Formats: sequence, C-alpha cells, structure tokens
Amino acid sequence: MNTIDKITRADIPARTSPGYSQEDFLRHVRLRGRRIRIRRILRGGTGILVILLVWQIMSQVLDLELILPQPLTVLRNVIRTLTLTEKPWLYGPNIYVHLSHSFLRAMTGFAAAAVLAIPLGLAIGRMTTLREYVMPSIKGIYPIPGIAWIPLAILWFGLGDAAVVFVVFATTFFPLFFNTEAGARMISPTVLDAGRCFGARGLVFFFRIVLPATVPYIITGLRISLGGAWRMIVAGEMLASQDGIGYLLMESRFQFRAVDLMTAMILVAVVGYATEKLIVDTIEKRTIEKWEVHSS
Amino acid sequence: MLKPNIVTVIYWIAVKTGAFDKNGLDIAENPFPSGQTAAGIEQLLRGGIDFYLGASGEVAHANSRYVEAGKPVPLALIEGGISSGSFFVLQDSLRGKTLDELRGMKLRIGLSNPSSYHLILFRAFLRERGMTTDNFAWEFLTLGGPEMLPAMVSHQLDGFMHDALTTTLAQRANAGFVFMSSNRGDMGENAKHLPGTGVCGNRDFMQKNSDTTRRFTQALRDASAAYAAAPKAQMVAIMAEWSRQDPGVIDDMYGNFDPRVGLTPHAAQIWWDILGSAMLARGEISPKLTLNDVFDLHYVQQTA
Repeated sequence: MNTIDKITRADIPARTSPGYSQEDFLRHVRLRGRRIRIRRILRGGTGILVILLVWQIMSQVLDLELILPQPLTVLRNVIRTLTLTEKPWLYGPNIYVHLSHSFLRAMTGFAAAAVLAIPLGLAIGRMTTLREYVMPSIKGIYPIPGIAWIPLAILWFGLGDAAVVFVVFATTFFPLFFNTEAGARMISPTVLDAGRCFGARGLVFFFRIVLPATVPYIITGLRISLGGAWRMIVAGEMLASQDGIGYLLMESRFQFRAVDLMTAMILVAVVGYATEKLIVDTIEKRTIEKWEVHSS
Repeated sequence: MLKPNIVTVIYWIAVKTGAFDKNGLDIAENPFPSGQTAAGIEQLLRGGIDFYLGASGEVAHANSRYVEAGKPVPLALIEGGISSGSFFVLQDSLRGKTLDELRGMKLRIGLSNPSSYHLILFRAFLRERGMTTDNFAWEFLTLGGPEMLPAMVSHQLDGFMHDALTTTLAQRANAGFVFMSSNRGDMGENAKHLPGTGVCGNRDFMQKNSDTTRRFTQALRDASAAYAAAPKAQMVAIMAEWSRQDPGVIDDMYGNFDPRVGLTPHAAQIWWDILGSAMLARGEISPKLTLNDVFDLHYVQQTA
C-alpha cells in the first residue's frame, strides 16, 4: 500500500505553505492517490490486453485453434464451466468440487508448512547453536524438487489426499522457512538493543521486537509458498488423485481438449490469485501495516 | 512406443527377428512410459515421430477435435493387434461377488490413464447393459502399469484394469483374481477380436512416404508370422527382455496374450461399434467422426 494514501489531517501541519490550506493539501494527496490507482489499473489492463491481443493473433494467423484456442473461445468455455453448462462434461464431479478439493489440499499442505516453518525459522534465525545443528540438514533436503517427493509420498501415504498434501507441504515449507530464518537472523542489532533498553525480555521481546521485525520476510515467504502450493497441487493431483484441478488438467490432455486445459489453467490462476489476496494480503494488513514495519 | 509395455512387444519381436532390416527400415526408438499414451500422440501430431505403437482410443480423441474444428483429420490407426487382451483384476477378498454386488461398494480401481482403452471397453460393456460408470460407487485412480501390483499388494487398490502382463504379475503374487477378461468373452463375444494394440501414423507423413509406411506395417506382420512360427522359448526370451520381466512371468502369461498384429476391416468395424460407440455416447468424440476418420487400412496388406 502506498503510504501517501494513508495521510490524514493529523499527519500534516495546519498550514503547509502560504496560500494553501490543509484542505487543499489533503485534496491534492487524494487526487494523487487516485491518479496512481487509475494509472496502475490502466497499465495493468494494457499489459493484459497486449497479451490477449498477441494470443488472439497467434491463434488466428498461425491457425493454432486446436492447440492454442482463441481468448474468446476460452472465455466462453470458462463461463460455461462455471455455470455448469459445459457439454459434454467428461471430468467427473463439477468444477466447484474439483476446485474445492484442490483448495483444501493446497491449504492443508500450506498451513502445515506455515505452522512448522515459521516457528522453526524464527528459532533457528535467533539461536546460533540450533542453526549450526539444523541448517546443514535443511539445506541438504532443500534442493530436492517437490515433484520428486511424489513417488515416495504415494509409498508412505498411499494414493489419495495425504500424498498430495505432503507434496504441497514439502514444496511450501522451504521458502517460508528460509525467509523467516533470514528475517529473524538479520534483525538490526540497533532494534534489538533498543528493545532491551526499554526493558523487553522473554515473550515480550519476542512479540514486540523479533516477530514484527521478521514479519516482512514471513509475508514474502508466505507469498512465494502459496504460489508454490498451487503449482504443486496440480502436479500432485495429476499423479495421485481422482479429482481436483490437476486431475482435470490431465484428463483434458488425454481428451486432446486444449480449450478445457486452458480453462483449468485460468481457473487455477484466478483461485491462486484470490487466495493470495485473501490470505497473504490480510495477514500483511494485520501485521506490517498495523505495526508499521518495513523491510530495510 | 509405450515402453516397457507388453502391448507393444511386437515392435521388439520385429527388431529381434530382423523384420525391419528385411523391409529396409532403420528404426529409431522413442519410448514413452506406460500410461503416457497422450504424449506419443502429441509427438505424432507435431511430427516428432513417424509411427506410434500404443493405445488406440487417443487417435479417435485427437481426430475428433479436428473434425469439430472442420479440419482434415491428421492421424490414423493403420494396424492393430488381433486380440484385445483387456483384464479386470480384483482383490481376492472380492471373489464370488457379482458386478451388481460390487457396484455399490466403494472400490478403488487402478487405470493407466483417464482415457484408458480398458476403461473404454468396460464402459462399452456397461453401456450394453444400460449403465455407465456413474452408476458405480468406484473411484478410478490413474497410475502406471508397474505401480498397479504394489498398490494392490499394499491394499491401496481394490482392483485394476490393465493388460495381460500386469494381470499375470498380480496372479503370481496372489494379489487378485481375474474378474473379467475380454479374451474369455466376459465383455462380449465381439470384444475378443478388438484390436488392443494400436499402430498409428501421421496421415501427412504416410501420404508422402507411403512406401515406407507399407514396409513398416509389413515388418510388423512379418514379426507376427515369426512369432507364430518360432519356438515358445525364443519368444518368451524376447518378450521378457522387452517388458523387463522374469521369463517365468512371460511363460505364465503366454497363453493369455497374443502380441501379433493383423488389423482387418472387420476388426476395425468391431472397434468402431464397441469403443467408438462408447466414446460417442459419453461425448468424448464428435458425432461427425466416422470410422474412416480413425482407421486407414490402405497401408496394410489384407489377406483373405
């Protein structure tokens, strides 16, 4: 959030400069904020339009309709899928069942990773001895790609949700852990000393100094991990599930229906984006903005 | 071709018996793992490979998309196995139950892919009885052929629909019994003669290289003849090598599996009547798709 959007009357002196009142200044700030928002929307919209235009041209000029359906064809298919009017529907339960199952699996794996990675990252970031014991093991496991866990997950947990959730967990844990650990380790000594000078100790020190200073890193980790969760849920469901968006993608591939493939991809993108807005942005608002902490 | 996969073993028999050499062909193998039938067809569409040995249903799926778009169909099934070799294996604990009794049970059934030939055949069988898989409380799980037996043994699956080799392995491990078999006529008398293995080609390539295509199909027929004439032990060794199995397993499977090709217009019609109708009823293929859009038997030498 741009800080200029949040300026209130209390933030500015009664008279800013000769000839300009406080009201003038606030109006100017609001107008500027609105202009920035409009500019962002226009630029973002232009970017999307350019992509759609290139997509349309490629599909039409190169006659790629069967492997790259036109944006309008895909949009129509998205609407038909969401309104449950897509005929024939070859993919088992309706789209909402697929999406909700994928969502639940992704969120379970992501939540489990967050519950473990954040406290562990904070502890290891602040405790050198623990870091020296644990970090080599974690760094050793880290390079293993998420998809490589799938066969093992199937062996350990069988075919079904648990295997997919585990794979999501294994993928989302590391970005969250490393970001949290780095954030906790890199807190400025000045901040820590200031906290101690003010008498902060134990849990108070942790909740008032360490956690707020680490939050920007945790938020970044959450954002990266959540994207990873959606990427991995698709791969996991392709191999070890009979529903979910990954399953839908695989089935549409076997039916050679590129339009259904793209529909499923767009729905993943939309749900993934909405999930990030809902979860990460909410956490961000309740932490970074509330505590007014910023990454250096 | 699918590899390792017993349904494509005719290719290896052709290599080992010199059938490709005899027909003046130098073959470069391009293997796809079991279950990845779509990948082979995609490569065929892109011109990455010239011929593909694998399942047959995907040709109809792919061509159907072109028919729907009003474009000429790009692929064709030019040859096929002479036996369908589809097996439905269940855990021993389910022995003695009828299909009606099994219908309401929450069973987990393994398939190599969502458009598995075995599933299409099962759907065709159900369709003749006025049912669909939606009438069953079963879960169909996709996993590669080699993973089906471990999944059965560890009770992650209640059954699977696959080929003779996976079935033999399950029987040898006492993991299950054959509930239905197309060879036995359980899926209808006509299903016995379905071409199980599909040999597909890109129509453009075949038109431009019709002589090569004819020699390719002839090599596979020569291999089939060699299989019929050769001692069992020799063929068991070849099949064991291709499928990476113990010769004892192949020996056990031998009577339940015929790798030979020999697609006839009659077999193509049976394929169309059984599998084509099942795919059409489910909406997988376009009503505009015809038998000739899927098959092209110009390149095989038909015998009386």
